[in-house]
Amino acid sequence: MTFEREEYRSVIVGAGIVGLFTAYHLARAGGGPVLVVDRGFLSSGSSGRNGGGVRQQWETPGTIRLAREAVQAYRHFGREFGFNIWFRQTGYLFLAENDGELERLRNVHALVASEGLPSQMLDANGVAGLVDGIAPGAAVGGAYLGSDGILYPFPAVWGVYEAAKSLGVEVALGVEALSTEVRDGRVAGLQSSKGTVRAPTVVNAAGGWSGDFSRRSGLEVPNVATRHEILATEATKPFLDPMVVRASDGLYFSQSMRGEVIGGVALPHRPGTSRGQGSSAAFLTTMARALVGLLPRLGALAVLRAWSGFYDDTPDGFPVIGEDPRLPGFVHGNGFGGHGFMLAPATSRRVAQAALGERTDLDPAQFSPARFLGRTTSAAPERLQLG
Amino acid sequence: MGEPDRRFSFRGRPCSSRDGETLLAALADRRMPLLHRSIQYHRPQGPFCGIGHCTGCLVRVNGRPNVRACRYEPSPGDVVTTENAWPSPTWDLYATIGFLTPGGVDSLHGLRRPAFATPLFQRLVRRLAGTGAPPTDAAARSITAPAVDRSVEVVVIGAGTAGRAVSAALAARGVRPVVLDRALHPSALSNGELWPATTAVFLPPPADGGDRPFTVLAVREPAQGVRVLARSAVVATGSYDAALLFGGNDRPGVLSAEAALALDGPTRRPPFRRPVVVGGGHRAAEVLEALGDSVEAVVAPSEIRPELVRVANEHGVPLYPRSLLLRTGGRRYVRSVHLQARGDGTRTVLPCDAVILAHRRIPHVQLFFQTGAAMEWRPDVAAYGPRVFAGGATNVPGLFAVGSVAGMPPSDAGAAAAAVADAIVHGSSVGERVPPSSVALASSELVGYYRELMRTPGHGRWTACPCVDVLVKEVEKAVRAGYRGIEVLKRYTSLGTGICQGRYCLPDALLLLSLLEDRPPEEVGYITQRPPVVPTPLAALAALPPPPLAEAVP
Repeated sequence: MTFEREEYRSVIVGAGIVGLFTAYHLARAGGGPVLVVDRGFLSSGSSGRNGGGVRQQWETPGTIRLAREAVQAYRHFGREFGFNIWFRQTGYLFLAENDGELERLRNVHALVASEGLPSQMLDANGVAGLVDGIAPGAAVGGAYLGSDGILYPFPAVWGVYEAAKSLGVEVALGVEALSTEVRDGRVAGLQSSKGTVRAPTVVNAAGGWSGDFSRRSGLEVPNVATRHEILATEATKPFLDPMVVRASDGLYFSQSMRGEVIGGVALPHRPGTSRGQGSSAAFLTTMARALVGLLPRLGALAVLRAWSGFYDDTPDGFPVIGEDPRLPGFVHGNGFGGHGFMLAPATSRRVAQAALGERTDLDPAQFSPARFLGRTTSAAPERLQLG
Repeated sequence: MGEPDRRFSFRGRPCSSRDGETLLAALADRRMPLLHRSIQYHRPQGPFCGIGHCTGCLVRVNGRPNVRACRYEPSPGDVVTTENAWPSPTWDLYATIGFLTPGGVDSLHGLRRPAFATPLFQRLVRRLAGTGAPPTDAAARSITAPAVDRSVEVVVIGAGTAGRAVSAALAARGVRPVVLDRALHPSALSNGELWPATTAVFLPPPADGGDRPFTVLAVREPAQGVRVLARSAVVATGSYDAALLFGGNDRPGVLSAEAALALDGPTRRPPFRRPVVVGGGHRAAEVLEALGDSVEAVVAPSEIRPELVRVANEHGVPLYPRSLLLRTGGRRYVRSVHLQARGDGTRTVLPCDAVILAHRRIPHVQLFFQTGAAMEWRPDVAAYGPRVFAGGATNVPGLFAVGSVAGMPPSDAGAAAAAVADAIVHGSSVGERVPPSSVALASSELVGYYRELMRTPGHGRWTACPCVDVLVKEVEKAVRAGYRGIEVLKRYTSLGTGICQGRYCLPDALLLLSLLEDRPPEEVGYITQRPPVVPTPLAALAALPPPPLAEAVP
């Protein structure tokens, strides 16, 4: 198979939620023809491997605003895209194990509340009311926002995929993006495993592989792919509404619509390891200990399967959105650090704007690729990185 | 076996079982128990697999959900209840959802409107889903047992013919292996250390390798975890009886041959009186030998082998070769099967109270996926198996496959075991590839069967994945919508994500997709089965000693 055309207005690398949403917004804005390439199948990367959490509790106003917009978009997703993503607004609960953590959550709460969201601080009793069966003393309190929620990622991917296709976007699966074709100092096209296509704009939305693609295109970037594992248990009747997150060890878990407990925990990152998406014994045992320690009765639930995916991490924890100042026509839509899915409806619109050469409303100090090149000031790093 | 003096309660009524008898055997005496309802449409489910994989016999024991009655021996005083049905699995009001939606609920596109009803739909769906109430704290405490580490030379997984032969061959060469077996009461083993009632899960190996590259998490029922570190591992997990697609294939009374044979125990009467046996070869003959004159008929998808003809004639059982099994009939339980002769199209309805599937055995390969062993499509069994080299070696150093899981005929067990033992004790490099040699319903035969079945009307509602209630219709719809390949289909329909982790639905789903997508089954792809493969209680995992973080990333 080759491509339907020899030349496109934009080529997007990565058919995950960010790439597909970007293609959709580009096509809607008349920025076609658009080609999306992905070396795998739909949902084979992190868009099909995440826990489905969508939250608005962040440490910077810029991210909170993007997240609010994303929540609104996901609320109306079913109507707009025809797929039911089962977006359930049953809240996000950040747990604090000691007073120091509680103080930090209080600061987050103050900021979130100042953005007009009804965030709440809970004491240990309030936490126990939301997490039935929590071990005594496991949390001194927490921060909770009821309009945060959980969605089922796959239908979101199918929905945007079908919508983009019906707008004329071409999605080529099983095609690997090799590097960017450069002529006269600007983007001229994409070299792929199925040949070269011409395009003045290439969008890097390759998620965990975006750092690789930027570097193959001659651009040094600080993106690091970090492997994160996740597991699912047997399904039970509903007993847990919110997504529960514990910052101290990066534990997060929720109960899916089908009743499975789905969650993960942070493991020390080992740079330079393989890109396998399997599981490790270290994860299974660490996660089991964390879950059973927090909610003892889960000990009698069996783990059905575990898998992993990649976070595309940046040094400051913020995404990279916008054209690379070193290579006109090369647009970044990456570095989401495990939050690509939850922010995608909002961020992808801006990635599309950048691809069309328009200005976005994003603070360059927080989101632009230039911040890593010393060409602009940088924001204080985001620390609420998990969940 | 002694008197039935283990007294427990089942749904509030007093019951009893004998020592060494499973809860299912005690509940299935003379009549088919209906213990469970399916996760989505609340269809009645009966025991199907009999070996602890399917959802057909899930009950709640002492506050622990999803206990497989076929793998559980009651203790005196146990409180056993049923779940996911109200007021009972026999009369379940939630089942109206299934009646109201004969074509299935399209959870991908449906229930999106009106917007104000979204939280209501979500509450309803959550309420309907889930196989049981969450466990109690007491249940979790009762299964927490201290975990231990054991370092051994060789671990053998499976104490069937092949595993025993390897154990004997190793003992003859001075190595006494640890032999794990899922059976609750396997017969004794003199030349190895036998652990019964134990499921094995390979854990990823440590990065530094060490001299014990294989880490096996052995979970002994109900939930003690033992981490076994071994220099070599021999997988002798054998084969299991496969499912078959037909209308009403999830109706209580549809049994795997394994389940039927287990329920025909020495002390209990089986829960069927006039079963129909499906199959045309050796396995069907075994079932017929065991059940004898009670068998109503033998139905075979293709030809019937002479061995089976002989046994059937001895017992006066009528034969229906080259027949399409269209569907089962009956309200809650199987009461008939509807057949159509391939060729002339004659339709027959046979009254029966069970359909025993003995048409096809497929290798039990799940453990290989976690070790990184190379897999290959085996057209002889229409399933994936490990790529096996001389001496039972695989492409993973120290990992061996032996017996029917490796496509070796039982008649070669002794020679194959000797070769494996030599390779382990004396070490040998990977030699030539050994072609599998099992005799089974071939891939092409099955694909032809399904092609004909798909074209024939009259199978009604058939289920591609009974654990998650995915209908064949939904698979067809997904393919029509352009979602191709088994990995995509799994995500699009949820097929294969239930409790059996695809053991029963994936082999036939591959064939179905090959037909619908019009390409050979091996091009449809396969799903890398994910650890732990065998459902493993969090308590057992949590009790394990922390492994080194420096382990290799698979």
